[in-house]
Amino acid sequence: MSEEELPPAWSEHFLPNVIRRLHPSAPLAHITPDIAWGGSTGRGVRVAVVDTGIEADHPVFSGNVSGGVIIELDEEAEDGYVAIPDNPPRDVAGHGTACAGIIHRIAPEAELFSVRVLGDNMRGRAVTFAAGLDWAINNGFQVINMSLSTSSENYQKLFYELADDAYFKNVVLVAAVNNIPAPSYPSTFSAVVSVAAHHERDPWTYYYNPTPPVEFGAAGIDIEVAWINKQYAVNTGNSFAAPHITGLVALILSKHPGLTPFQVKTMLMAGARNLRKEE
Amino acid sequence: MEPKDEAVMPPEEPLAEQLQKLLRAIELGGRAVLPSTNKELLQSIVNAAARIFGAAAAAILLVDEVEQMLVFHVEFGNKQPGLIGRRIPLNKGIAGYVAMTGQAIAVSNVQQDTRFNADFAKSTGYVPDSILAAPLLLGEQVIGVLEVLDKIEAASFGMHDMELMGLFAQQAALAICESQQLERIDNALRQGLRRLASDEGLPDSSALIAALEDGGRDGPDRDDLLLIAGAFNDISRLGPVERRAALKILAALAEVGRARTKPRSRFA
Repeated sequence: MSEEELPPAWSEHFLPNVIRRLHPSAPLAHITPDIAWGGSTGRGVRVAVVDTGIEADHPVFSGNVSGGVIIELDEEAEDGYVAIPDNPPRDVAGHGTACAGIIHRIAPEAELFSVRVLGDNMRGRAVTFAAGLDWAINNGFQVINMSLSTSSENYQKLFYELADDAYFKNVVLVAAVNNIPAPSYPSTFSAVVSVAAHHERDPWTYYYNPTPPVEFGAAGIDIEVAWINKQYAVNTGNSFAAPHITGLVALILSKHPGLTPFQVKTMLMAGARNLRKEE
Repeated sequence: MEPKDEAVMPPEEPLAEQLQKLLRAIELGGRAVLPSTNKELLQSIVNAAARIFGAAAAAILLVDEVEQMLVFHVEFGNKQPGLIGRRIPLNKGIAGYVAMTGQAIAVSNVQQDTRFNADFAKSTGYVPDSILAAPLLLGEQVIGVLEVLDKIEAASFGMHDMELMGLFAQQAALAICESQQLERIDNALRQGLRRLASDEGLPDSSALIAALEDGGRDGPDRDDLLLIAGAFNDISRLGPVERRAALKILAALAEVGRARTKPRSRFA
């Protein structure tokens, strides 16, 4: 990899001394977090978690996980993959449960659904991931959390097309950027809400960054998360920042059903700590 | 390829000498960058990783694709014996998660939960407080996992550690792959030369070339070695004098090979 190709450390725009204070643009200056999501619980919003599964009977979820599928590549199938029902869903690693638990903490009444694309074998990870995303876009979810990425340039176009597809179907995609400085698809596409970790602990504090490559910074360091076998762990990574934003998107969409992805982004931007009007 | 062939083997030098020089250049080139064995290389990587990230322990697990297992190859700082060679299923634990997903992760407060990653703890006798694990990636392919355990001066590994670890693991993966490839090429070449030296008629170089091609990625070293394999095959067809020249090279190579594998005396 040449020097020009090496991406930056993704979270660098959210270091405490780098975060920029921004000014809300006049016509939108009145949007506050209260207008955006005040009083919302996420009720009525269906959230897909594309990951390693969700341990549905973990006590942290209090029954809000509605079901799951396991995505498997299948050349015989019309779409090239099949979605096998996984009810109640299980988690093979803990990562998906951790992410779903964070979403649930922010949006306790949002409906969570597991789309398992990781953890069954090592082959075709990026394609299975893309297939899971495709399935979620076309199965009635308003927001999709992807705390994973691919660094393979070969799949850039495929993910780009899926991101566009989601955008025009009014599905909000929230993607964590790679934890390591390597390419990170689909998080780099502008139709996607991209998230890296900032250095603060408050789950409601997040920042907006107007310059590439990452738009939002949310809590992602030493986050207490639900883990498999009804356990908890403390995890660090951009993976755990994205679900905070996914939870907020669920709150926004619950309060304002039918907003388009760019309207949701506008509200998110207005509520960011470095932009928001003090209430 | 034609101009390159001439550059490598100027016609005025005796063929045997040219080949000998070329073999030595490959050998020295490999040594300049890499420790002499793959194991030594892996050990140097875990030692460096523990030091860089301020960790009490570190380990490298490599993927066994056939068995779908992760195998502990080297470690640093673990007081319990018997870790090396231990195998854990690819779908178990933190390392398994990293191998399956190709994503790095940092986890802390591990000890707080007795059931957390119990298999790992049981198998090693070492239950860490904090783990930072990153994939050893060649493109999209995960060849293994590098993990550092127990940050010494903090409760957990941070984002900066993780990002740095990502870069370090990329370097490590490239070095490991290069080293494995050199070992494979070395073996394949020696095998081919042995066959050339044997009196069972003219060997067909196709099997040797296949073995070399199996070595993985393209690269100038591999191109050169393919050239050598082809050349030896051609030489063996020329006649007894040429074949003797080739045998001299075989002896030279064997000597280099012996020097590489022989344990070094502490006084050498």
